[in-house]
Amino acid sequence: MMFLCAERGLWGVGLISRGTLGVVAISPSAGHSFGCLQELGWGAVIGENIQTCCQLCTHGTSGVLIMDEVITEYIRRTVLKIPRDEIMAVLQKWGFLSEAQLQTINFRQTKESISHSVAQLCEESSANIKQAALLDIIYNHIYPNKRVWSVYHMNKTGEETDLFDFRDFKKKFRRRIQSALINVTINFREYEDNAIWIRIAWGTPYTKPNQYKTSYVVYHSQTPYVFISASVLRSNLPLLCQALVFASNYHDIREMELRSHCLNSLKDIVFKRYSQNFQTNYPQQERNVLTENVDLRINDENRSEKERIHRLNLECFGDGPQPKLDFAQYKLETMFKSDPRWDVLEKKEPFRCLVKFSSPHLLESLKSLAPAGLADAPLSPLLTCIPQKARNYFKIREKKSLLPGSFVSP
Amino acid sequence: MLLYGEAWPRMPDTESLQDCPCVGPTREPDLHPGFMEEERNSDEKENALQERSLSAASRDGELQISAVPLAQGKVEERKVYSGDGVLGYLEMLEAQAHELGLKQEEKEQQEKKLDRLKARVQELRAQRDELRAKVELQEKRLLDKEGVVTDPAKPSAQTVLEWKMKSIKAMLQIFYLTGISGKLTKHGVCFCISTAYEGTYLDSYYVDLLIKPEVKIQRHSVPVFIPLEQIAKKYLQTDIRRFLSVLSDHLNAYVGRRHQADQLEEHFSDRIEGTLQRNSLCNLLVFNYNVSSNNKTFLFNVRLLYGDLCRSLPTEAIISCETGALSLLAEMAAAHSDAFRHVALHKAFNLLFNAKESQD
Repeated sequence: MMFLCAERGLWGVGLISRGTLGVVAISPSAGHSFGCLQELGWGAVIGENIQTCCQLCTHGTSGVLIMDEVITEYIRRTVLKIPRDEIMAVLQKWGFLSEAQLQTINFRQTKESISHSVAQLCEESSANIKQAALLDIIYNHIYPNKRVWSVYHMNKTGEETDLFDFRDFKKKFRRRIQSALINVTINFREYEDNAIWIRIAWGTPYTKPNQYKTSYVVYHSQTPYVFISASVLRSNLPLLCQALVFASNYHDIREMELRSHCLNSLKDIVFKRYSQNFQTNYPQQERNVLTENVDLRINDENRSEKERIHRLNLECFGDGPQPKLDFAQYKLETMFKSDPRWDVLEKKEPFRCLVKFSSPHLLESLKSLAPAGLADAPLSPLLTCIPQKARNYFKIREKKSLLPGSFVSP
Repeated sequence: MLLYGEAWPRMPDTESLQDCPCVGPTREPDLHPGFMEEERNSDEKENALQERSLSAASRDGELQISAVPLAQGKVEERKVYSGDGVLGYLEMLEAQAHELGLKQEEKEQQEKKLDRLKARVQELRAQRDELRAKVELQEKRLLDKEGVVTDPAKPSAQTVLEWKMKSIKAMLQIFYLTGISGKLTKHGVCFCISTAYEGTYLDSYYVDLLIKPEVKIQRHSVPVFIPLEQIAKKYLQTDIRRFLSVLSDHLNAYVGRRHQADQLEEHFSDRIEGTLQRNSLCNLLVFNYNVSSNNKTFLFNVRLLYGDLCRSLPTEAIISCETGALSLLAEMAAAHSDAFRHVALHKAFNLLFNAKESQD
């Protein structure tokens, strides 16, 4: 038995029994519902409660499939999210609609109309939930920066070689989740860079999965890092983590203090794919010397200082593109240090303060602070350690010793 | 008092305004002494003007404005009452400034002249050197022609040192070809592991080590699925050489497996049914391919397990067939499995399929 929610606010119950789908309207005014359904061309069975309806349905009453409409509506809304010029490419990647069908869509009309045409075609081709989920995964894979991703770290104690088998992983993951909650839609897709995308649509023990309330998990096999974009329902997170640990043969999982919109940058940081400056004997790439205008009439008074700043910046940040982060947050619980004469605070309590640096591209802006003259080089290690420590949430407390200072704690 | 006079640059060659074509003779009485050169009787004129302006002042009690066109443009000057005291003092200062300006100009001109002469001197010197060199060359040629053996130029110690340094630097540069190379850093050593597989150089990975207080990895670019922490725990403190050797084995084997899988996908994509399934370490590969026997085609499914992470050949090659025709094809399956276990993947494929073609 499945619960479906038809568009016009009617509750419908769909049953599949020997190939027939019966639609039952359960609403306060049954007569009204019946009327509506008839209008839509649906046959209807009306009963007082679920049990009677089921009995009626199983006796072979004919009905109309309304499951399609939910799915096509979902597909339509997914297509609406895509920028108009890229709809064709995404649909081709999806591969559900044939080339001939795609040719019939006029991509010059408004997005609303395009989405309706696509929905129409999908309905004609009887798209099922798996196809719709696949389209959603493809959309999120192409536009991952619309969601906020957090990074989780898994631990294992064993040392045996892990022969990761994707089939096994899928089986174990699905089994673990469905043993606790049957009403979920789980879909997997593997990409060439060994990234496994998992889409989970959550329901509750009593309701069918809500396709609009999804969580996404990106996992690279044989790595201890998982990227999760949780949905609003944080209550399902423990179950999700459990299933991941079980399926990937690890022991435990904890959330790292690293969050961003840009999934690829998070991957770069934890997989150490960003450019770190390693010293080598052979010149791998030519360091670009400060080649500015070679006009000899212009004399740079600060040349040595500029070069010093450039060199320090290179040591801290490397010379490649930086991973893209949105913010860095520092929670300070330090004592307010002032002249003892001005007794600002009577109670010697730590001063609680939150400092948040936000930027469209935080690390690039930090890198350009010193050359722009806005900060002294070298920058504070609290700022430059972000990719190295793989975190952008910091808690700074007082160092509990005679020496004044602060230390960074997890 | 004249306010604008000194601000206007003078034309360098007009020594006197009389020579300046723009200024007519009739303007002379209106000219403030400041505009005239030293050659003129400025004092006389000044007094005359003073008297005039005083009388003018007493007459109108107003300021007079007279426009005096200069070679550069129009200047409007205001004549204020010039009396003694502050204003007279100011006029005197003005005159002094004017003199200083003239002197400075002279000095500038002299400096310019000096620079020109210096440049000329340089030119001439360069010419002289050139000619000298030519003469020497000629002399040398003459000597050679006469058959006098000149001493071979003894390379100076400087050039020998430079050559040595260059050759060592070049040696260090190509040292990475050995597979493991390193460079001392401020706090330790930075090792570079350059991987290769059967003659093809592939990626390089770096490990930056700190020496004090104990040997520790500061940072690295090793992929996250290589068990670096385990290897470090076992060998880093005791035997760095072994650590590097084991790590190098892991990395080379991984890169080798990956290279084989990539080559298979690239060259034999038509032979493989569906896609090649792999994982991050490339230590489990699963794919399907067709074999024909007795004019019938069968689909073989291969699972290659690389149990040893330091080896680039599989430890197990499990071949299964869908329809249970394995009993018929057992021999072929065994041969294939053998080939996969002993020869690199793409080469094995090559052997199997080209051999078959040659058979048929």
